[in-house]
Amino acid sequence: MNTFTLKKNMIITPKELQKWINEGNDFTVIDVRPENQRNEFPMDGLDTIMSENGPIPNIEGLKVLVCQFGIVTEGMIIEQNLTDTFSLLGGAQAWNEFQSKMEDLSQWSRQTVLPEIGLNGQKRIMDATIAIIGMGGLGCPVAQSLVTAGIGKLILVDGDIVELSNLHRQPLHGIDDVGTKKVQSAEKSLEKINSDTAIEIIDGYLDESNGLDIIQKSDVVIDATDNIKTRQLIDQFSKESNIPMIYGGLFRWEGQVAVLNVNGSPGYSDLFPDSPSGGDTCADAGVLGMLPGIIGNIQALEAIKLIVDIKPNLVGRLLIYDGKSHQTEIIEIG
Amino acid sequence: MKIKIKCFSQVKYAFGKDELKMELEAGTSTSELEKLIRAKAKGKLDDISLRVAVNQKYLPNEIELKDGDEVAFIPPVQGG
Repeated sequence: MNTFTLKKNMIITPKELQKWINEGNDFTVIDVRPENQRNEFPMDGLDTIMSENGPIPNIEGLKVLVCQFGIVTEGMIIEQNLTDTFSLLGGAQAWNEFQSKMEDLSQWSRQTVLPEIGLNGQKRIMDATIAIIGMGGLGCPVAQSLVTAGIGKLILVDGDIVELSNLHRQPLHGIDDVGTKKVQSAEKSLEKINSDTAIEIIDGYLDESNGLDIIQKSDVVIDATDNIKTRQLIDQFSKESNIPMIYGGLFRWEGQVAVLNVNGSPGYSDLFPDSPSGGDTCADAGVLGMLPGIIGNIQALEAIKLIVDIKPNLVGRLLIYDGKSHQTEIIEIG
Repeated sequence: MKIKIKCFSQVKYAFGKDELKMELEAGTSTSELEKLIRAKAKGKLDDISLRVAVNQKYLPNEIELKDGDEVAFIPPVQGG
């Protein structure tokens, strides 16, 4: 049996474990944690036997191993080559959350284990609405990463259709989507990743008539457009509604990201005042698909940090990344 | 005085370099330096807006540069 198959078979979620209990299945729960961890997260409503050190006792029948976050036990199953044994995904932390709120967050256990995220951070992520303006080179990776992280709702705004020349940098669209609407193609791909994220699509461009309404419905707005005029509009409505804007832009090998309009912090108009000129679009100047992938992911990362309130961040600062030298410059905007 | 200039996006392409080192007269201001840079680019930056940062900070107004300052010229970028 290869590691992949073993790994796939040895995981049980809190929801599945509860189902076993309800169905009266016969199994033994083995808690491998030291006492201090057991005191922090006691296993609510479950009979367990303790096995703090050494090998797992040789008990007949199915076994479920529990540790704090479900990571140690996955390793034990592989290292000790255990059979008929499952690791509880998300560990005691996810189990207790499921018991108290009937909400299974174990899918996100690898990010909730981060002290800065935890279960509360994950709930904030799952309650958040983010508008993404543009579903092209930047919009695709932003949407993909936010849906993967379990974001509550996305509003996707784009009136464009998928072209063959988009595919090298817009991974939510495939060859069969050429000629279809970008927002519909993106929605279809995102639903396959995580169907729990609600997705609202707006088949049109952000303008004076709809911009304020779209941004007011969101907790954060992501600028993934390819023109300065729309960026200025997003900036204007972001300021007006006090909803933060995460700016991203590209020129060939270089990308820029800034977090703008957070409780009066600098906006796009402070970054580039008046009507700046310059910089062709990706279609005109050329770009490798990895660059919008990197910059879009930095935008998504900053969005999660804003929602969960993790610092330091790029509020009031402009990050410039060079994909050739990998040099990163951070400029204080004001 | 010696000044280091960091080039970004179109500025980088105009000079074919990430960085320029220039020897300037004491008291040269940021806007005088911008004029020098635009002239040195021989028209390649004529239609491009530039923001100036000194020592990793945007400046509200022009200032006199000091020896050892690091000046960045940052164009807006459109692509997405």
